[in-house]
Amino acid sequence: MITYIIRRLLWLIPVILVVGAVTFILMHNTPGGPWDTDAERRQVDESTRKSLEAFYGLDKPLWRQFVAYMIGDFNNKGKFICGLPCGNFGPSYRQRGVPVQSILFRPPDGDDGNPKPWYYSRFGYSLRLGLMALVIAIVVGIPVGTIAALKQNTWVDYLSLLVATAGISVPNFVIAIFLIIIFASGLKWVSVVPRTWDTLSVWVLPATVLGFGTLAFTARLMRTSMLEVLRMDYIRTARAKGLAERVVVVIHMIKNALIPVITILGPALAGLVTGSFIIETMFAFPGMGRAYVQAISQRDYSLIMGTTLIYAVLVAVANLSVDFIYVLIDPRIRLEE
Amino acid sequence: MTAQVETQTPNIPNFGEALKTKTPNQEAFERLARNKASVFGLVVIILFMLMAIFARVLAPHDPLEITSGQKFLPPAWVAQTAGGKASNPDYLLGTDTLGRDALSRVLFGARVSMVVGFIPTFIIVLIGTVVGMMAGYLGGTWDNLLMRLTDVIYAFPDLLFFIIIMVSLRDSWIGQFMNGLFLLFASLAIVNWVGIARLVRGQVLSLKQKEFIEAARAIGVKTPRIMTHHLLPNTLGVIIVYVAFRIPGLIITEAILGYLGLGLRPPADSSATFITSWGGLLLEGQSAINAQPWLLLAPAICIALVVLAFTFLGDGLRDALDPRMRGSQ
Amino acid sequence: MRKLFVVMGLLVLASMMLAACGAPAEPQTIVQTVVVAGTPEVQVVVATPEPEAKPAVLRVNTGAYPDVIDPQKSSFVNEIGHLKLIYTGLTALNEKLETVPGAAESWKFNDDATQLVFTLKKDLKYSDGSVLNAKRFEYAFMRNIDPATAGEYASITDEIVGAPEWRAADTTAADYDPEVFKAALGVKATHADGADCADYEDVACDTLTLTFSKPAPYFATIAGIWVGYPAKQENIEEGGDIWWTSSKYQIGNGPFIWKSVDPFVRSVFVPNPNYAGAAVPTYSIEYSYITDSAVAFEAYKNNEFDVVASVAEDLDAINADPDLAAQHMQWAGSCTIKIQFNLQPTWNGNPNPFADKKVREAFALAFNAEGWVKDVDGSLSSPTWTWIPPGYPGYDANSPIKYDVEAAKAALAAAGEEFNSAEKLNAMGLKMAFSDSARNRTRSEWLVANYKANLGVDIALDPVDPTTYTAIQKDPTTFPLLSRGGWCADYPDPQNWLSVYWRSDTTFASRPGYKNEEFDKLVNEADATVDPVKRLDLYKQAQQLLLADIPAAFGYNSLNHYLVKPWVKGIQTTPQDGMFPGDTAPWTISIDTSMIP
Repeated sequence: MITYIIRRLLWLIPVILVVGAVTFILMHNTPGGPWDTDAERRQVDESTRKSLEAFYGLDKPLWRQFVAYMIGDFNNKGKFICGLPCGNFGPSYRQRGVPVQSILFRPPDGDDGNPKPWYYSRFGYSLRLGLMALVIAIVVGIPVGTIAALKQNTWVDYLSLLVATAGISVPNFVIAIFLIIIFASGLKWVSVVPRTWDTLSVWVLPATVLGFGTLAFTARLMRTSMLEVLRMDYIRTARAKGLAERVVVVIHMIKNALIPVITILGPALAGLVTGSFIIETMFAFPGMGRAYVQAISQRDYSLIMGTTLIYAVLVAVANLSVDFIYVLIDPRIRLEE
Repeated sequence: MTAQVETQTPNIPNFGEALKTKTPNQEAFERLARNKASVFGLVVIILFMLMAIFARVLAPHDPLEITSGQKFLPPAWVAQTAGGKASNPDYLLGTDTLGRDALSRVLFGARVSMVVGFIPTFIIVLIGTVVGMMAGYLGGTWDNLLMRLTDVIYAFPDLLFFIIIMVSLRDSWIGQFMNGLFLLFASLAIVNWVGIARLVRGQVLSLKQKEFIEAARAIGVKTPRIMTHHLLPNTLGVIIVYVAFRIPGLIITEAILGYLGLGLRPPADSSATFITSWGGLLLEGQSAINAQPWLLLAPAICIALVVLAFTFLGDGLRDALDPRMRGSQ
Repeated sequence: MRKLFVVMGLLVLASMMLAACGAPAEPQTIVQTVVVAGTPEVQVVVATPEPEAKPAVLRVNTGAYPDVIDPQKSSFVNEIGHLKLIYTGLTALNEKLETVPGAAESWKFNDDATQLVFTLKKDLKYSDGSVLNAKRFEYAFMRNIDPATAGEYASITDEIVGAPEWRAADTTAADYDPEVFKAALGVKATHADGADCADYEDVACDTLTLTFSKPAPYFATIAGIWVGYPAKQENIEEGGDIWWTSSKYQIGNGPFIWKSVDPFVRSVFVPNPNYAGAAVPTYSIEYSYITDSAVAFEAYKNNEFDVVASVAEDLDAINADPDLAAQHMQWAGSCTIKIQFNLQPTWNGNPNPFADKKVREAFALAFNAEGWVKDVDGSLSSPTWTWIPPGYPGYDANSPIKYDVEAAKAALAAAGEEFNSAEKLNAMGLKMAFSDSARNRTRSEWLVANYKANLGVDIALDPVDPTTYTAIQKDPTTFPLLSRGGWCADYPDPQNWLSVYWRSDTTFASRPGYKNEEFDKLVNEADATVDPVKRLDLYKQAQQLLLADIPAAFGYNSLNHYLVKPWVKGIQTTPQDGMFPGDTAPWTISIDTSMIP
């Protein structure tokens, strides 16, 4: 198992290189560049564009820009500037030279002028909200799905189906505004606009909205998967026996039914902790989801590469963990032959 | 629906006779037809399809007709809004920001959204299931390579990909085909199959160690047959849940991609086949949530009905096709 | 063994959650929010003499968080909205958009307006009490020109001697020496008697001389915009690439001090006691960054904001409520939006119908501006037929064009043989590109319907993503046949509207292909004319020429529209206001705290 995990971790390198190369090629072929701002605004003129391109190395051939990003390059004074391996994600284009790693990982300064703890960085905020959303999805989704399966075709089952369907058919920006109107404007439990993210109560609404899709998916998958397990002959037999054994059986069933839920939760975790554009704009949440969307729409090349590669690593590690958990749940599963 | 419902209703006609002479397919169909919820689902989907096809006949107004001074009229059952706007019985669901009839637009929206909700889903499920089964069942190097490919595509910046596709292909024949919708399907399929592939693979990894698969292998059943007859039916449940979640996702993605110029272009001429989509209406309705909530509610309800109908139909289909249920009546 | 893993996993997750939720409650970082009858108020942000009194805070929702808050690199209205609170330029604008003293007490042009000498006010101080002398402004202008800064507005100071040369220098060349270019630059801080300034502490250094390569009588106005804000060199250098992200480095001379910032959440500005303008403000400002208008509107109704921008979709709700209706402020804005035509002789290899002035005339006459304003913008804009918007110097309501369907049809019939009917145009396949969003889509659909109804032409819509839209407009070969676009004033001078935008050598005019030598001659002459009356008259003549050429259908002007709580008093609006009503002269505003519920 250990060698398997090490081997899988080594596979991260080619995955990152391929994702990096594909992203690099895509973004440089997308029409428009980092200097093409809002059409109704003044655009940089030719001289300024040249200085900017010299600063960002855009005047160099593409392969060299790619190597400079992924590994490093010598600058015109002959000094080696280390790239990705040193945690250097390059300078942002639209934030004019601010390093991408400080956009994502550097916490802002507190009132005393010193940086706040790391979890105040944009990544830190997204990580906290994403984990909270995931916990909500798991803690609510798995029991609801299990109960719906055990009480199949009762009102519990139908209610969970209705809520899940409504939840996925209505886009989350609509759910967000409805929740704001109900809990903030109506009941006044929280303020519409969180004044600070230092109190727990303001996290509840965004985490719920963020986690809702995953929650609904988890519940539905759990229900289906439980029904599959229920049909297995040995379970039918076991269910006929006494109560104490039935509890054991239900726990055993849940374990067996978890495979598809675990499968989706892996990438879902990667998605949740890298933030959501909609949640962040609706709730003024300082996460990194909007960095990714804005980077693409603004053609901020370094930021696109940075956010994509971080996401790639998270997805790959999440999927590795998923495979690992498969084996924990069902030791008969063999990942390597 | 499932065995429990059916066994609770023993007075179904032909009970017990189904065993005698029916082929498995006929048998499955009958099981499906006996399932009330599935029939309801099927009826709803057929109704929406008819609505899409006959939108031009059903729609009370031209969906592109702009009426000056008639913006944000409330639906007909609201006599007057708080803002003092009186409704007009001509406009059952009221009007949108340009004074266009909301009902007619919802009817026409069914065309794009029914197509976009189902066709790319079909392609995605096809690719994803094949890849997932191969990775899960064949294992080893196959599994590793296919799953590393899914890792790459998961992390792939699909927004950039869509913009490039839009710019480079939209004026070619492939971009014009089906009013741009074909290009949309293809792009969506390329980036969306990974979720279902991993889901199917996970199921297969767990199933292939189960006794009945090992038994089948032991008696010399060939790999393709094991896949189609033993593994596929047992993964149908998760596939159906996945599809039910994919449909609204795709309907909204279509609208968002429309903003990148990919897919449906807003037509200038009301005789066009594809006028608008539910996703597009949702996004338009979002900003008007205070002024005319029905602009948002109407398409959202339609999408929810389609998803619900599909879930019912899908569950019934799954039960009907389940080999373990065969002859269980 | 396996069980242990599961338990461990849960423990790790639980501890992370604890870290996520628990840690922020540490007392030293907390900003206490006390909810009193649904009105949250921050208690530690502003020190108030009595604990019971409500703090005088103007809570403004500004929309998107800025990309860069650096005087010499910023270019967007939300970025400038921050900078103009923190800094003041040499000159400033008053409520009539006249150029008035800012940090400079007075300024003087030489006879041919090729040299401008500013004299600073006495004893200027930064908000931290340090000396503000002319050398600070010298640094600001030099930094704006320096190619290493490379801001969007670097070219706005190109009248200064040596500026275009430095900006065009090859900075990668081995022998590149910025000091050479700096020395040749027409920016110099001196003592009143012409003696060299020593350093930033030199109190007697109160004179800044700008030398131009051509007459620039409008430059006193330009000297007041954000590129001339005196950010401190030592702070910029100490903070490095991220200096502007931290409020501790943003020490300025403006009416407010940027006290703290929680990026994407909130900025707090408190009055600057050392402000040398009309008066030190009596209130603090809080900027929030909600981009969703529906959420912002809810927050306003819930008394969480004092100022939010209103949107067309919420107008019904606003007008339905007499209180809200009374709080709705509207006044002229700084933009003119037009339907722009591609003026190149050919388009996609075919003859371009819009190269024919009669076709352009038909399209301009057929644009129902009143209908647009009423149906599309919900009266949050105002129709126009001219280029410079009302309220700005050079505004002239006279226009050869107004909405007239019959005249439009006649104009089309009088066009060249190839284009003189709707059928002929339809056969060519007219296209209108737009930068796609829900709002732009309905706008474009309305425009297409307007032309279909009035001229019978079918225009296909071509939605593209916003950056692609900018990119296709930068290339004359891909410039859209029809599109919607506008211009907002950088500073109130006709030069900014006419010479910067329509002179044939500017990018704005050359991309669609506008060229009128007569017009170029007039604006060049006006730019160099020192006498303000004569200068304005030349610009008026130039604008009439422009309008007669119909390079675009000048459609409508933006309006500023905000909801403002009744306890915000004394607002003096100008079209240049960017973040909240009256932010050009924020010292006139006061908050009546007794009215706050």
